[in-house]
Amino acid sequence: MPEPLLQVTGLSKHFGGHRGLVARLGGVPAPRLVAVDDVSFSIARGEIFSLVGESGSGKTTLGRTILRLVEPTSGHIVFDGTDITTLRPAQLRKARRQIQMIFQDPVSSLNPRLTVRQMLGEVLRVHAVRPASQVQARIAELLALVGLPADSIDRTPKHFSGGQRQRIGIARALAVEPRFIVADEPVSAVDVSVQSQIMNLLLDLRERLGLTLLFIAHDLSVVRYLSDRVGVMYLGRIVEVGSRDQLFSAPRHPYTRALLSAAPRPDPNHRATIAAITGEPPSPLNPPSGCHFHTRCPLATDLCRSVAPLPELVAPGHEVRCHHHDHAAVTA
Amino acid sequence: MADAVLPPVKPVLAPPRRRVRWRQHTNMLVGGGILVAILLASIFADHLTPYGPLEQNLRNTLQPPSWAHPFGTDNFGRDIFTRVLHAAKLDLMICFLCVFFPWVLGTALGAVAGYFGGLVETIVMRIVDTFSAFPFLVMAIGIIAILGPGITSMYIALTLAGWSMYARIVRAEVLVVRQSEYVLAARALGYGHVRIMFGHILPNVITPTIIFAMTDIVLVILSTVSLSFLGLGVQPPTAEWGIILNEAKGFLLIAWWMVTLPGIVIVIVGLALSLFGDGVAQWLRERA
Amino acid sequence: MATVLGTAAGTVGTSAAPPILDVRSLTTTIPTARGTLTVVDDVSFAVAQGECFGLVGESGSGKSMTLRSILGLIPPPGRVASGEVRHAGRDLVRLSQRELNRIRGREIAMIVQDAVSALNPVYRIGRQIGEPMLEHRIVKGARSARARAVALMAKVGIPAPEKRVDDFPHQFSGGMCQRVVIATALACDPGLLLADEPTTALDVTIQDQILKLLVALQRDLGLSLLLVTHDMGVVAQTCQRVAVMYAGQIVELVRTDALFRQPRHPYTAGLLNCVPRLDGPAVRLKPIPGAPPDLAAPPSGCRFHPRCPLATEACRSQRPELVEVAPGHFSRCIRHHEMPPDLWKRLDA
Ligand SMILES: Nc1ncnc2c1ncn2[C@@H]1O[C@H](COP(=O)(O)OP(=O)(O)OP(=O)(O)O)[C@@H](O)[C@H]1O
Ligand SMILES: Nc1ncnc2c1ncn2[C@@H]1O[C@H](COP(=O)(O)OP(=O)(O)OP(=O)(O)O)[C@@H](O)[C@H]1O
Ligand SMILES: [Mg+2]
Ligand SMILES: [Mg+2]
Repeated sequence: MPEPLLQVTGLSKHFGGHRGLVARLGGVPAPRLVAVDDVSFSIARGEIFSLVGESGSGKTTLGRTILRLVEPTSGHIVFDGTDITTLRPAQLRKARRQIQMIFQDPVSSLNPRLTVRQMLGEVLRVHAVRPASQVQARIAELLALVGLPADSIDRTPKHFSGGQRQRIGIARALAVEPRFIVADEPVSAVDVSVQSQIMNLLLDLRERLGLTLLFIAHDLSVVRYLSDRVGVMYLGRIVEVGSRDQLFSAPRHPYTRALLSAAPRPDPNHRATIAAITGEPPSPLNPPSGCHFHTRCPLATDLCRSVAPLPELVAPGHEVRCHHHDHAAVTA
Repeated sequence: MADAVLPPVKPVLAPPRRRVRWRQHTNMLVGGGILVAILLASIFADHLTPYGPLEQNLRNTLQPPSWAHPFGTDNFGRDIFTRVLHAAKLDLMICFLCVFFPWVLGTALGAVAGYFGGLVETIVMRIVDTFSAFPFLVMAIGIIAILGPGITSMYIALTLAGWSMYARIVRAEVLVVRQSEYVLAARALGYGHVRIMFGHILPNVITPTIIFAMTDIVLVILSTVSLSFLGLGVQPPTAEWGIILNEAKGFLLIAWWMVTLPGIVIVIVGLALSLFGDGVAQWLRERA
Repeated sequence: MATVLGTAAGTVGTSAAPPILDVRSLTTTIPTARGTLTVVDDVSFAVAQGECFGLVGESGSGKSMTLRSILGLIPPPGRVASGEVRHAGRDLVRLSQRELNRIRGREIAMIVQDAVSALNPVYRIGRQIGEPMLEHRIVKGARSARARAVALMAKVGIPAPEKRVDDFPHQFSGGMCQRVVIATALACDPGLLLADEPTTALDVTIQDQILKLLVALQRDLGLSLLLVTHDMGVVAQTCQRVAVMYAGQIVELVRTDALFRQPRHPYTAGLLNCVPRLDGPAVRLKPIPGAPPDLAAPPSGCRFHPRCPLATEACRSQRPELVEVAPGHFSRCIRHHEMPPDLWKRLDA
């Protein structure tokens, strides 16, 4: 197997937990939130790896730690042989030319005061990606690359539709010629007809520019369309990871299966084959003991309530964190 | 790859159209008009009246208003109209600077506090709390008491007494904008702190501070006049509204015009500033 | 248009009874600085007794404005410019706000998307569910309102209702808040429920639960449901009939199964074509090019023509009407009979 482009090992991020002076004196324990909990995975060159999970499962936090926009609490992120977690600020800024991010909200992710020309021009100049004489030509090239009309160059974001803003965000990320892009729910806030445009654009860009993507989504059908491999997150942990086919045709974790059965399908004749899961996701401030999913799991036993399952390899490249994954396979 | 790059989509909205609807901005126009007129009259005062602001005529003291002396004369026989006109320049400049300095200081400190957070923020904001604990004029007078009266002391006093509110506003705004995804995007693009703060955050937080400055400006002009009236700011015999009033207060019963007419001018300027400030604030809010 | 409507309700065959809600040529305009926007444009549909009727469309297509027009809740200066909304023998458009208040919540209730902000944070859950009953004098006294609130909470699947009735909204999760909102809507036994994207803010597993709850309530209580959504999957799994909206107009109206089997408007076909699937082969999606129009400057003729692969000169100049193209199947396309089944697939050939 070739060396992966990105290798994440034992990554955790805890929020809170430090205490102010007063609380420390008073001995009040500060609430601590484990947003990302001992996560490991790797992404091969040219691959699209997706993270899927419900709100608050830690997808965004995980994505941001990879750019060190959020400082990880522990763990290592090795990008192309370099451990990002130990980089000093100056080196980090250089590394950020290799890794870029696309954001969910097409409205708030663009500075409302800058025109497209200023926005892209600034990126190109700061990183001296191109000599000054070629900046304008490169901006035009980027616009064409993401399918924006050339006459949009001197407009500010409010003159664009949601889908177009998302394209501007993508152009901005591409301006530094990164090799790796973290796309945090780039199609969640846009309409279906625009969603497919953006997804196709991402697929084409990968093909053309040889990009590698970490794609974050909560919509399983979007993930199925785009990804080569998929990780499913629940309350900060990756509970199942595998190739797209493994995950969608032979899911082994009860949570993955529940997600699949709950997703609404544009097919009036479709009938869910397994019972819907009951209950609500627990609070991340006070996650259940053992396996986090046991409060909603139809297979839960005493073992699940007390011992957190470790990742187990069930097929090449297919890992599951469930004590009962064999049983899950049988009842499928 | 037939549709490698999707067909370009037309922007949804028409290109920017910057047309100020003047009708909706009567406040700004009326206020601004009065201010400009007074300022121009003040600048060309030498050509408008035959007298000088300090020119005494002891044979012509305490004259009531007449065609020769529209506002009458004072106890030194100086033409009050001339003095009031000349004073306008000085007072408006002091007023402008005493809004400008606190705005700069407050915005800078507030931005630093909001952007860096942590210890920096704690320190700046505790200082802000300390400064805003005192009423505005009390603090200004206190500072002048330490520095000694004079125009420089007044600048310092009004700046120190006024900056804290700007710092509060800016910090609150920065805290919001700092969380926005475009600032995160700027960090992801490897931009430095200076670029992010001045290029990406400040332009997006500045509007509310200007709106506040516009309401502050009336308070400041009144404070300027008050301080000079109390003898703490501009010193006599300079033509300045506070001083004119101060000198007149002894003649309230025998020469009503000495207080009343300059007083009316000050009220008109205050109103004009208030109208103008409201107008600008409204215009900025609409634009935002 | 009246004939079109009569048939719309009649041909569904769900019941011979008159529809519970009959919207005819409803047009709503909002004056803005950029001109008057026609946000709801000649919208006609009827919801049969006991039916779940879907209103689906992309953002800005006018779904919420249609719902608000029905209850007279258009924010001024917007107003219903023309059309009728018939309910129980009355035209709601012509009623005064006071008369409407007697209908709102009592006969027609509404559920909004953001359940968390729909609840008042300072009042206990029980009081909020009980309030409409007291307002409309369904029950006498706070004691019986509370008892009924507990019963309603049980009905919408809130565990331990006796204990939770005195909780505050912030003690409830998003999904539970939506259940509370549904209970509040059911408080006065309305015949018709208007639901504006009731599950859009929720996670899939919770969305699934809420949709199942709505369908069960509709079945058990004989409720009629007008469900607004942008998700074709939600439509497919909950609605009997559906109207597809585009730029303020209904472009297609038909039974749900027929819509998915054979759409008769190019926009619907395109929309179905660009939804990624969870089953079947993963084929490359064919997006609809472009974006929905700006309502301040809508395209001439058919509003979809700039994005339509079938568009002709006639589409550019002539405003299409919603016509019945098959029994119970309405389409606002003059070329509906020429629409090939693989319309969008052939695009890149
Ligand atoms: N800056 C922060 N401080 C404290 N807690 C945070 C912070 N950022 C995120 N969290 C918490 O961490 C958990 C994971 O959040 P995250 O945003 O990563 O989830 P997500 O999977 O991206 O959810 P969504 O689908 O809603 O975007 C949540 O419980 C969230 O409340
Ligand atoms: N107060 C308003 N002033 C002017 N235009 C408005 C106003 N409210 C809504 N609109 C416009 O009316 C149109 C229809 O809006 P509506 O909220 O009904 O859309 P929708 O289909 O519910 O979309 P969404 O899925 O985003 O909720 C939009 O183009 C919108 O811009
Ligand atoms: Mg997120
Ligand atoms: Mg809506």
